Amino acid sequence: MRLERLQRELRKLDPRITASERDGCVLLEGEVDDYATVYAAGKLAVDKDRYLGVLNDVRVRGFEQHVVLPELRDDALEGRACDVLVIGGGITGCAIARELRRHQLDVVLVEKGPDVASGQSSRNGGVVHVGINFSKGSQKLAYCVRGNAMYRRLSHDLHVPYENKGQVTFARTPIEMLALEYVHRTALQKGVVRTRVMSRDELREVEPSVPEWSVGGLFMGTGGITCPHLMTIALAENAVENGAEVWLNTAVLGMEVSGGLVRAVRTNRGTIHPKAVVNAAGVYADVVAQMADDRTLTIHPRVGTNLVTDKKAGWMARTGLGKTPFTLTPHQLGELPGDPVSLVKATLASAHSHSKGIALIHTVDGNVLVGPNADEVADREDTSTDRATVEHILANQQEVQPELKASDIIAYFTGVRSPTYEEDFVVRPGIRTRNVFEAAGIQSPGLTAAPAIAVDIAQWVRAYLSEVMEVVPNEAFDPARAYRPRLAELSLEERAQLIRENPDYGEIVCRCEGISRGEILDALRSPLPVPTVDGVKRRVRPGMGRCQGSFCLPQVMRIIAEEIGVPFEDVVKGTEASRIVVGPKK
Amino acid sequence: MNERYDVVIIGGGPAGLAAAIGAREGGARVLVVEREAQLGGILKQCVHDGFGLMRYGEALTGPEYAARDVDRAMGLGADVALCTFVLEAHREQEGFRLVLTSRSGVREVHARSVVLATGCRERTAKQVFIHGDRPSGIFTAGCAQNLVNVQGMLPAKRVVVLGSGDIGLIMARRLTLEGAKVLGVYEARPRPSGLARNIAQCLDDFGIPLHLGTTVTRTFGRDRLEAVEVCKVDERMQPVEGTEQRIGCDGLVVSVGLIPENEVAEQLGVPMCAETHGPIVDQQLQTLVDGVFSAGNCTSVNDLVDYVSETGLRAGRAAALHALRQQGRSLREVRCGNGVASCVPQRIDFGPECGEVTFYLRSDSDYRDVEVLFVSQGEVLARKRLRAVRQAETVRVAADLGQMGNRVYVSIAGSGHVKGEGNG
Repeated sequence: MRLERLQRELRKLDPRITASERDGCVLLEGEVDDYATVYAAGKLAVDKDRYLGVLNDVRVRGFEQHVVLPELRDDALEGRACDVLVIGGGITGCAIARELRRHQLDVVLVEKGPDVASGQSSRNGGVVHVGINFSKGSQKLAYCVRGNAMYRRLSHDLHVPYENKGQVTFARTPIEMLALEYVHRTALQKGVVRTRVMSRDELREVEPSVPEWSVGGLFMGTGGITCPHLMTIALAENAVENGAEVWLNTAVLGMEVSGGLVRAVRTNRGTIHPKAVVNAAGVYADVVAQMADDRTLTIHPRVGTNLVTDKKAGWMARTGLGKTPFTLTPHQLGELPGDPVSLVKATLASAHSHSKGIALIHTVDGNVLVGPNADEVADREDTSTDRATVEHILANQQEVQPELKASDIIAYFTGVRSPTYEEDFVVRPGIRTRNVFEAAGIQSPGLTAAPAIAVDIAQWVRAYLSEVMEVVPNEAFDPARAYRPRLAELSLEERAQLIRENPDYGEIVCRCEGISRGEILDALRSPLPVPTVDGVKRRVRPGMGRCQGSFCLPQVMRIIAEEIGVPFEDVVKGTEASRIVVGPKK
Repeated sequence: MNERYDVVIIGGGPAGLAAAIGAREGGARVLVVEREAQLGGILKQCVHDGFGLMRYGEALTGPEYAARDVDRAMGLGADVALCTFVLEAHREQEGFRLVLTSRSGVREVHARSVVLATGCRERTAKQVFIHGDRPSGIFTAGCAQNLVNVQGMLPAKRVVVLGSGDIGLIMARRLTLEGAKVLGVYEARPRPSGLARNIAQCLDDFGIPLHLGTTVTRTFGRDRLEAVEVCKVDERMQPVEGTEQRIGCDGLVVSVGLIPENEVAEQLGVPMCAETHGPIVDQQLQTLVDGVFSAGNCTSVNDLVDYVSETGLRAGRAAALHALRQQGRSLREVRCGNGVASCVPQRIDFGPECGEVTFYLRSDSDYRDVEVLFVSQGEVLARKRLRAVRQAETVRVAADLGQMGNRVYVSIAGSGHVKGEGNG
């Protein structure tokens, strides 16, 4: 879109918004009254042919992004030089740090949260995506297909659960079946294999929960599931096992850039001097890119809430299932006026939503995840849940699985995705700054794509570093994470053997998930220990079950306190300020 | 290891201990399997008194009440496996096979009868759809009670309690006594859920306000809880817009109901009752799976420990009898009629030895001057007059029904509905 035309359109939207060109991007500025206008302006400005990206700096009157920063201030990293600094301990950053250690590079990863996978990497459905819904030529498609193919090996190496039971999308009418036939034909051109259009009866073989209204659907054989936070933690642990450093509670506050290079990176724990910088900063990737003078994008936060069912409802989905994006359920149809125009409109609106139409996901732990929705919001850090959203998701997905009841839900969580206005990843070497490497705009299918993104980024970083230093392969690199038993997966004989070796495996602490003291101690003694209640919960699951930690919380706190040698009252939930008790009673 | 017992009891709380006593008195070889390091179950952390008024005619603390049963069960020679967790439970040709784990390994035991005494768990804040952030400072009442009474910790300084059930009321008092400021107890229903004596002794005596028809809808605070939002609810328990109020606090204690724990029961294929959320049982607490008995709060949630012990004792005796002399049953169905929300037992094993049957009912509302009627084939088999029935309290009725058809209907009859208050 030509700039003048964009400016005209923007005036109609809100005359206070101005558009200009800067560094190959389109820059929007101004102040408006609501976030919807900011988002609409950003969308209007998208022109992938003409611009590198949209820099949407339009502000909302009265809204200031509150950046959650660690309370910690020290100089532990002051003056630290390293070969590569990875910013962001989500799945992308952790995968990159691990990949970089295939060579003898001094790798430091910083994460502002109290644990890796503190953002969207732990707040998603864990789907290893097929990629079928991404357009040809997009980075999302390319990395999704490549990453998907890497998952079996990766999960094996890292001892992270992964299941490849496929995904199913349901159609309501024969016309929709024809559309799915078309989707199936285009799949191969996209590099997506193992798809098949199936009748209702055939579908039932792979997914017993086919809704009444469905005539059939598309089965996608490469679809899978993993545990997203465990995968992230495993990548980080394996990176550490192979010599990378991971610094938690460490936030990047600014950079010194000169002569087309990042010279120094300021954090709350001192200033680091890296030879190369990788930006994997998730919802703040545009902010970090700006610090590095390499910004070509804007993150517009998009929240999604998932509901978690009791494992007793685990039968409700065997695969990941949902309706096709263009399918309207009988309930949705019932709410339409009935004329063909509104039907077409509603269908298009449904097809253009950013949810991939996966409604129910059978998790690797046996629960079912229900959701997620997709809402544009201003705040990058607000992961609170609200009643209306949860009720809406529940009502919607009951159309797909009528047996689903509110009483099946034991928990819910919200994640903030980090899409760009172009709705694609920005994975590339720096444009204006030569030693920065962008892994930005990574949202779904980021979990799937991360291992493939890591390969490319690591390769670019190595190529760049080779100009300034000698880069030698790390012969000692071991892609396998040290094995730690998950008792629930073991046979009784294996369990008995373990207990003989270490009786802590015989002491069950979490009754709902059957987690032993030994497994909790293993987590606390891992290469990347996070001795908090949440840190333990995310690694070995006490508190994830139906009682949500009501029974085992005091015991888990006691184990943490004893293991790290602090008083019981100093044990925290997650962040430093999240102490669980006030102190000893009087 | 391959051990054989007549009766294996799963759970060493009040129900399991009473079952052990009953089964030992019946001459059975008994093993009690307990997850924790000590017997007594949740009683261990209930340091307040008021336990045993019916059974002993005196008010004991939880640990005192438990100690009496522990002493009696030990004295009778029940075996106990502490710090032991049931991994698997299977039916086999003649009885059951249980796989247990503990620090000493994995062991298998075989039992002729099994008594499930697994208790209940608390419904959590999430399960009543309280929204907002996920800071620390949100506790179920039982968890807060453990932190105070077992760990010796003060969980919070300024506390909002949601739920006027007995545990909520008792924790409001306990936290006040330990130096916290309890800002109020909020209850979505139009009437308090706990025992009348607890309202008086736990709230009124300490000047803690009780807000009926009001619930907590949201939590605020990224790290530690900073505030909650409370909101009036309508008759359908839906929040009324415009009545939201923000209350600054660093602790939210939720006491919003108990759910029977029935994971072992499910492994054994025991059919469940939709009303009680526990196994369907006959008057001897035998489930529909021959040889599996279910006692205490995993069968249906009780307000008084005395009832828990009573069902445990009966289940233990019957389990011993079953183990030593198995016999067939002739089951008749008990159905909930007017005014009855749930009933234990749901079946009656009808025979010459049937005699008087003890029923534990929950009503669907509060009533005054009513009769509990037992009706079969159009005839009233028994009737019991009651002066007051509260939805929040278990109604215990013993009745000799005599002859009966295949179904017995139990209902609350009379015009004594307490008016002006909806059916919460």
